[in-house]
Amino acid sequence: MELFDNLLMGLSTAMQLNNLGFCLIGVLIGTAIGVLPGIGPIPTIALLLPFTFGMEPAGAMIMLAGIFYGAQYGGSTTAILVNVPGETSSVVTCLDGHQMARQGRAGTALAIAAISSFFAGTVATVVIALLSVPLAALALKFTAVEYFSLLVLGLIAAVVLAHGSVARSLSMVFLGLLLGLIGIDVSSGAARMTFGVPELSDGIDFVPVAMGMFGLAEIIANLERPSERRVVSQKVRDLIPSRADLRAAFPAMVRGTLLGSALGVLPGGGAALPPFSSYALEKKLAKDPSRFGHGAIEGVAGPEAANNAGAQTSFIPLLTLGIPANALMALMIGALMMQGIQPGPQIMREQPQLVWGVIASMWVGNLMLLVINLPLIGLWVSMLKIPYRLLFPAIVLFCCIGTYGIANSLFNVWLMLGCAAVGYLFIKVGVEPAPLLLGLVLGPQLEENFRRAMLLSEGDFSIFLSRPISAVLLAVVAAVLLAMLSPAIVRRRREALTE
Amino acid sequence: MTKATFRLDSFSRRRALSLGLLALAGFAAQPAAAQNFERPVRIVVPFAPGGTSDILARLIGPKLSAAIGQPVVVENKPGAAGNLGADAVAKAPADGHTLLLMDVGSLATAPSLFSDLTYDPVKDLAPVSMVMFGPYVLAVHESVPVKTPQELVAYAKANPGKLAVANAGVGAANHITAVSIAKELGIQWKNVPYRGGAAASRAVVSGESNVIINGSTATLPFVSNKQLVGLAVTGEERIAGMPTFKEAGLPGNDAGTWQGLLTTANTPPAVVARLNTEIGKILQDPEIKAKIAEQGGVVKPGSPAEFSAWLKSATDRWGGIIKEAGIKGAN
Repeated sequence: MELFDNLLMGLSTAMQLNNLGFCLIGVLIGTAIGVLPGIGPIPTIALLLPFTFGMEPAGAMIMLAGIFYGAQYGGSTTAILVNVPGETSSVVTCLDGHQMARQGRAGTALAIAAISSFFAGTVATVVIALLSVPLAALALKFTAVEYFSLLVLGLIAAVVLAHGSVARSLSMVFLGLLLGLIGIDVSSGAARMTFGVPELSDGIDFVPVAMGMFGLAEIIANLERPSERRVVSQKVRDLIPSRADLRAAFPAMVRGTLLGSALGVLPGGGAALPPFSSYALEKKLAKDPSRFGHGAIEGVAGPEAANNAGAQTSFIPLLTLGIPANALMALMIGALMMQGIQPGPQIMREQPQLVWGVIASMWVGNLMLLVINLPLIGLWVSMLKIPYRLLFPAIVLFCCIGTYGIANSLFNVWLMLGCAAVGYLFIKVGVEPAPLLLGLVLGPQLEENFRRAMLLSEGDFSIFLSRPISAVLLAVVAAVLLAMLSPAIVRRRREALTE
Repeated sequence: MTKATFRLDSFSRRRALSLGLLALAGFAAQPAAAQNFERPVRIVVPFAPGGTSDILARLIGPKLSAAIGQPVVVENKPGAAGNLGADAVAKAPADGHTLLLMDVGSLATAPSLFSDLTYDPVKDLAPVSMVMFGPYVLAVHESVPVKTPQELVAYAKANPGKLAVANAGVGAANHITAVSIAKELGIQWKNVPYRGGAAASRAVVSGESNVIINGSTATLPFVSNKQLVGLAVTGEERIAGMPTFKEAGLPGNDAGTWQGLLTTANTPPAVVARLNTEIGKILQDPEIKAKIAEQGGVVKPGSPAEFSAWLKSATDRWGGIIKEAGIKGAN
């Protein structure tokens, strides 16, 4: 059994005392930056890159990987407690996680987030070990054509995200798409809506928009509410989720893990796609979708699982093809190159000790994270006893530091503050920023892939239907649209079923 | 005025100092070494961490720090194809404490690509030293039935518009190289822009596009893994048995990544000279040479004047290609 040999070899690397130590350091740093809003894994890893210079390659990669998936764990904490996403990937966790906290179930939400993350991390490790080669081959089948169809499906799902009216969420998606147009167009090199501001030429970064609209806007809105309205400051009593909670969360966890594992492998999806899609899926499948946005436990379990699974499987293209799936993996390639290891398709063959060591360390790291995080929940919840006048300035400060750190640019800080004002306006008029964020993330990729597909096919639209993966995806889109446009039919059928 | 009082922190003082230095030049044993650094030095890398420029800066940083006795900090300031970082260095105090390490090909193409550039790469920046050259590899997806550069050219002529060349973005050096090859050899192929070299590599490995001209370190593993067929390399040396562009009759033999170190314009020449001397020494260090070879590059130390001349010629040549082909950046 080659697989077991490989996993054993990996475990023997990962269990070396110094590598265990690096793994622990990695996940601790990851948890910390995850909890701190705005400060993400990319600047942290960039900062630590020089220190890995003198380390063994395996130790360095194990530590850097630990920071990455550790941050996915920690990111949900601030999302649940104060509605400020600690990481971009935890934007979705705000939606229901914070509602749970408001209902006095902060402990349960945190525990479910940690358990979902651990479950997804464990499954994703097995997925990487078993399926990385076929998954990488599948990822290579995704050309511009397939990617365009997948993104259309993602955008349709965005409408499901909001719990208000469809018209409102559609308009927010379009606003997001418009914002996504800002910057130099990849296909033609033309500058759009940049007004001669060089900082806008690469488009608007996701992090300042998400931090501003979710985190800071929420803080402003909180300031005008009387402080006793803060239902969140209750006893820590129900820290451990009840059996009913677990039963409700488990299927969502499984679905989120599968979805996240698949989407994580695809290039460019980034941190936002898996949790958003999982949330949309859970809401679609739920018997009573109206619970979503009001503290549905599936709305926490699914996206948290998806985001952790996706974070881990995004290593697959790096480990099997030597091609980074996102900016963070590009950084990992840099770390490997500084060690004198050339990433590429040969890396699994030439550096099995390293590759399998990193894979095995992911499971070890996930176990460490669970052990670290569960006892910490009490501490996190008690953090809410910190008065707003101390907590809020601290959050704002960390958001500013983190946003500045993305590109060492003051522009992003101002952008975040501007988005905070807009986000406050959104809260006042009762529209939700989540569909906007999805539009912002998916819009540029949608356009880029569409135009690339057209360029390569010389303007032949039938290419979207003649390629099997793309055709299937578009068929799903059609089915979803049909179901959405005829709510009457669906409702009647549901009534018929309940009778 | 003794050497001990030399400080670099105020402009008027520096002026007086350089005048004084001129007067003292006859007496001072090492005029360049007299240019002390009294504050931490920043190396601005105008790209994201983990790329070639970043790795080079982090390799050179500690050595430079040891040489000048001051901390050297690497600061990534990505955005706008390197223009944000370059602009920051262009507008820094002219005291040689803010350095810029980047693919200087972008500096040569920026004036032609961006009409609203916020700095002048020639007037606002002072070249210190070229650092390295990394050659390009020309490779095709296995589905393209060619084994040599000549066969590729023949195939392209016989099948106009069938080949799609992936590049790292509109106006990127490999885009310009592909455009000039097509123009000089009279072939037609599609130029397909991607977001960066890694995305372009992926697209050619998957067969979405089928030709790539890209950095050798990133491309050679796919060639040795038989996913791509390597045809030719730029630069003076053959790599893995592939002929050079010059041998194969392709234009653009000097295309590739040229990494150079610059500082703010109007920095006292003696400070630039000191930096140039130290960088020259660092690039002779066997450890650094080996590390740069791992990045697929060769060290290219040289004088500020040589660097200036290179920048000027590249700006004219590539600018001409950009204008003729109508490639647009932000204008």
